Amino acid sequence: MSRFLALGFFLAPTLLANADGDMPEKQKPLPQMGDSYVTNGLGSWIWEDKTLDDQTCLLWNTFDIPTSSKVTKARLVMTVDNEFTLYLDGRELGRGAEWRELFVFDLTQLLKPGRHVLAVSCYNGSFFAGMLFGLKVELADGENVEVKSDQSWKVVPEGVSRWKTRTKAQPEWAAASIKAPLGGTPWWTVPDAVNMMPSLQPIELFFWQTGWFQISLLSLCGLVILVSLRLMTQLAMHKKERFLLQRERERIARDIHDDIGARMTQLVLHGEVAQYELPADEEMRQRLNWICEEARGLLSTLDEILWAVNPRRDTLRDFVDYVCKYTVDFLAPSKIQCFFEVGPETSAVALDLPPRLGLLMAVKEALNNAAKHSGATELTLQIHWRDERLVIVVRDNGKGFDPALTDPLRNGLPNMTQRMKELGGHCVISSQLARGCRVEFSVPLHHPRSSFWGWLWNDKRLPAYDSGTSNDRNGEPVQSHDPTKC
Amino acid sequence: MTQPNVKVIKTTKGGRPDEPGSRPPVKVALVEDQPKVRESWIKLINSFPDFKCICACVTGEEAVRVIPAEAPDVVLMDIFLPRMSGIECTMRLKTLLPQTQIVILTAMADQELVFLALEAGADGYLLKRTKPSDLRAALLDVLGGGAPMTSQIARRVIESFRQKAKIRDESTRLSMREEQILMLLAQGHSNKMIASSLELSIDTVCTHLKNVFSKLHVNSRTEAVVRYMASKNPK
Repeated sequence: MSRFLALGFFLAPTLLANADGDMPEKQKPLPQMGDSYVTNGLGSWIWEDKTLDDQTCLLWNTFDIPTSSKVTKARLVMTVDNEFTLYLDGRELGRGAEWRELFVFDLTQLLKPGRHVLAVSCYNGSFFAGMLFGLKVELADGENVEVKSDQSWKVVPEGVSRWKTRTKAQPEWAAASIKAPLGGTPWWTVPDAVNMMPSLQPIELFFWQTGWFQISLLSLCGLVILVSLRLMTQLAMHKKERFLLQRERERIARDIHDDIGARMTQLVLHGEVAQYELPADEEMRQRLNWICEEARGLLSTLDEILWAVNPRRDTLRDFVDYVCKYTVDFLAPSKIQCFFEVGPETSAVALDLPPRLGLLMAVKEALNNAAKHSGATELTLQIHWRDERLVIVVRDNGKGFDPALTDPLRNGLPNMTQRMKELGGHCVISSQLARGCRVEFSVPLHHPRSSFWGWLWNDKRLPAYDSGTSNDRNGEPVQSHDPTKC
Repeated sequence: MTQPNVKVIKTTKGGRPDEPGSRPPVKVALVEDQPKVRESWIKLINSFPDFKCICACVTGEEAVRVIPAEAPDVVLMDIFLPRMSGIECTMRLKTLLPQTQIVILTAMADQELVFLALEAGADGYLLKRTKPSDLRAALLDVLGGGAPMTSQIARRVIESFRQKAKIRDESTRLSMREEQILMLLAQGHSNKMIASSLELSIDTVCTHLKNVFSKLHVNSRTEAVVRYMASKNPK
């Protein structure tokens, strides 16, 4: 369409002149426009104090539209020798490059109450230079606001930022100087032509085009990026921490195994040989024997610490192995026959240190109760996955008790419940007189294969470390492990 | 089962034909890299009247070179040896001397190592801190009946065979009866209970278990070494 119009303009400018509102209309000569002469309201030719060739002159002025008044008509007429670009409140309205002609802008729809800034960037090619300007704003209440080219205009020095939107003149901005009155030499008395510039509409912005929206959106994006970066850093740190913790645990395990364990074992061995070399009735032999026994007890404690510390043992299989072995060893002196029911799906599932240790301690407590109070002949240990939970059941065929009549402190329920609570699980004790006792521990554990997100995130939970291990070790009866049973 | 029983050695391994009446001492070979520890072990073994330490090696390489000629009844093998590990040495010795019982010694109790050692062909597993009286009993036990099988080990054995079920031929697969026995063992039943519930003699149960072990060895000897190496070097 525009191409067609441009072509049409060249072919028949006069025919199209009235039809095409986008193109400047040329009427020559046109001394009069509607109600008044076009040159009415124009000021003088103004310019910077000095006129130079190839000079850019920035002219600036403001005017106010009173509040609560409506603009009925606003017409701006101007020209510059040689070229100009006109801005209103920073928005470019148009350009002109013919001093013999006048350029007419209709600002009726642009002017709202308040202060407005007129800024004209003028350029002089050579010889004379000047700007001719006249703005007449008619208000609904009959008042007029007029701005003419006179000494109220300021010359803005070069390099001033945002000068087109500044509402206040700086003190160093010089006033414009009048070069000639309207009609004075060397300029015209009647313009060659009057150009009606395209009518101007206020820029209507969609909300997403407005500055505040874009700024908020940008800041939101920035915020999101910052938060993501922070989360990613935290995640990386978390992973790093986990890795370091893992490595540290490995190191401690290695130290216990290679150093403390190996050397203490040597001590036991040398102690045994020393014992053997002494005569059988020597009192020293008894003492040496005692030392060796103590060292053995210490080594079995070390075994358990090593098992807990070693990150290689963070699997359900190792947990099952250990608990079963512990159960066998623990119940060996008590003549209780123990049975195991272990689910087949429990092999290589990861089980972090805190649940591993917490569950072991809880099972120990349940076994202790069974051995001390139940009078059972059989005990069954069940370990199963059920609905994303690891369920461990310790069941005996002993004399049982009435839960309503038994002091809860005696059956160790608060202790076991607390342990399970720390792991986000629960503990249920059910018993009837003469019908045995059943203790169930249930801890939520994510099955690694069941969760896509778990795989994506690859984040094992790291609950708070159970600091109660050393206390619990004091509470349990000293068990001397018989190594030949392993 | 859990309590080591002193058994009469029925075999006449190492017995000289010109002394039919007297029972010759059990010949023990030792592989241990620490000199003082080695000395103590020799003293300890020689303190038992029916055992004699006939050979002590410092490294696994030396053991593979020297021990076959000595033909001991039992080899006590330290698991952590420089260069060739105790597990690898066990595997090599077992192929050279299938009749010799090999007992792995470690400082700390570790279920993983027990199973690795058994897979590599070891017949038993002892903690170095074992009391001398228990040590003697355990050695006699191994000589008499092979490796003891606990419920944990039984569970591992079942798992191990399940993983290999697809690739191995019929002769190295568990029979129904063997698997049944292992399952009962894993559930905590003793050999005696298994024998009575399956209406078998205890000897038959033991024979089945021995077969399980030999199948396990055939299946996993090399693999055990590889896994041992991997467990030593996690990276």
